[in-house]
Amino acid sequence: MSDNNATIELKEITKDFKNTKVIDQLNLKVAAGEFLVLLGPSGCGKSTTLRMIAGLESVSNGEVLIDGDDLKKKANDGHTIAMVFQDYALYPNMTVYQNLEYALKVHKVAKDERQKRLESILETLNLSDYRDRLPSELSGGQKQRVALGRGMAKKSKIFLLDEPLSNIDVQLREKARDEIQSLHDRNKQTIVYVTHDQLEAMALGDRIAVMNDGIIQMVDTPENIYKNPTNLFVAKFIGTPQINVLPVWYQDGYLTMDETKLVKLDRINSIDPKDYLLGVRPEHIKVSKNSESEFSVPTKVTKIVDYGRYIQLTLDLNGQHVIKAVTKDIDCKIDDTVFIRIDERTSIIFDKDSQKNIYWDRV
Amino acid sequence: MNRKKNALWHLPLMIIGIIALLPVVFMISNSFKTLQESYQSILSLIPNKPTTINYTTLNHQVNLARLAWNTFFMATLVTLGKLFTGLLAAYAFRYYQFKHKNLIYLLFVATIFVPFTIVMIPNYLVIAKLNLLNSVIGVALPQLCDATGIMIFLKTMEKIPGSLFDSLKIDDIPNRRIFFNIVLPILKPSIISVGAMFFINSWNEYVWPTLILKDKSSFTLPLALQNYISSEGGTNFPLAMALSSIMIVVPLIIYLIFQRYILNSISNSGLK
Repeated sequence: MSDNNATIELKEITKDFKNTKVIDQLNLKVAAGEFLVLLGPSGCGKSTTLRMIAGLESVSNGEVLIDGDDLKKKANDGHTIAMVFQDYALYPNMTVYQNLEYALKVHKVAKDERQKRLESILETLNLSDYRDRLPSELSGGQKQRVALGRGMAKKSKIFLLDEPLSNIDVQLREKARDEIQSLHDRNKQTIVYVTHDQLEAMALGDRIAVMNDGIIQMVDTPENIYKNPTNLFVAKFIGTPQINVLPVWYQDGYLTMDETKLVKLDRINSIDPKDYLLGVRPEHIKVSKNSESEFSVPTKVTKIVDYGRYIQLTLDLNGQHVIKAVTKDIDCKIDDTVFIRIDERTSIIFDKDSQKNIYWDRV
Repeated sequence: MNRKKNALWHLPLMIIGIIALLPVVFMISNSFKTLQESYQSILSLIPNKPTTINYTTLNHQVNLARLAWNTFFMATLVTLGKLFTGLLAAYAFRYYQFKHKNLIYLLFVATIFVPFTIVMIPNYLVIAKLNLLNSVIGVALPQLCDATGIMIFLKTMEKIPGSLFDSLKIDDIPNRRIFFNIVLPILKPSIISVGAMFFINSWNEYVWPTLILKDKSSFTLPLALQNYISSEGGTNFPLAMALSSIMIVVPLIIYLIFQRYILNSISNSGLK
């Protein structure tokens, strides 16, 4: 606990809309000064969760604690929480400066202090030249910066951002992302950031909470989420191109597919002999022109896309499975036969029924 | 192609415009005719010998300033009342969540479809009991609320995104401030156009004021006009036209001042 940030704790939160459960028994702790990203597909309940932290949405069951205190005492006191909305929610009748100043004025922050804060915010966000413009006279990126500035002006302990970058051009997005990042580095506020964009989540979050169907699937650092996802949903949601998933069978230390041995398992000595799903990221598929070991599998090249930095291959295995592979350089043409090899260390095995990462239960 | 289409549209529009303008020209031209001339050639649009006699006669016969003031006072009171209640009610419907909100709103809107003739007698009895007969306040009182205003203002307020209200809630801005600093400025164009509509309607109102106002000193312009058309003193057509011409001056001025807003809010209701 400190002056410029606060902890957030969600305890057994449930949210019903009419008769459907939108959020089911959600637990989440956000440390003071942490940058947490809520990531998930649309309709997964991430925005609802954020709105419950903001006190905009009531909680059907459970508790929201800010610095250990019930939210009701803290929320809407005008300075604990600031929020930036997807559509910016700027006051259309006020200039940029008035937009930033309004809440401070209402809460009787002294004029000198107001000016000092706002000048520095306008400076950092490159808005000094636009201070007297109305929101309707600004571009999307500028509006987004004003919305960000309005949140900053409050010097709140908690900063909530609801898909703040989804309405601006791709070219501007990276710059805006850097701005948010440096804002966090400077002010050390506790930030909860909602997005459906996995790249944004990976770039910004200290930790990412991946949500689906109102349930948090996994909360961890971006690296762990990428390398060691708890289940198939998380694995598929993170990473482009998407992780390859192959149906396999375990027998006597080998994962086999259609009678072909794909991987020898050393990390795990015995699992039940049954169906599993083998997940391999495209960059972990080793592609070569010749068969290099007994585990090399021949595939046919069906598509080649050269992105400059890397080449993305679409491969056809036995006419049944499509595999995406990413490689630095390979000299091949469409319809060529190439060999792929899967490494145990970089592959993830999911239980076919529960879709859970089996390493997760064991390690 | 487009131009040609536009030109084609101009012809019917011009005809409609002329038809709409004709009664006004007719009224003004007859107000400058003598009684005799108006009997002889009522349809001629340009008086043979234009005369201001009707206006001077009017000025002698009635207290024009008094009539205009009564009408203005009543119309202003009704307009402000309707705007005030309409805006507050619409804000409540937009901002708050409460039980049976839709049903209550529906009941409000349903009052628009209750004909005046049904509430005329009960309203009259209430005003009589309150001892407000013969006063402009008595005319204004039952009209201070109007569901039309609530409906139009709510429709406009619904265009304000919910996130704007959420943002204000998080910043703990009191309701009074949200209403005056944010909602009213955003609604300004529709307030002006709806206000102008209320004012002009009330300015022209006839039936209800005749029931309440008996004393000539409290008459409004439409009531005074009735005297020149009905039996009392016989129908003096040019005089009636002169009074009518005077009557339309105020609505015309209001329209000219605010026409930018009125047109604006018809084509789009203020928010982007």
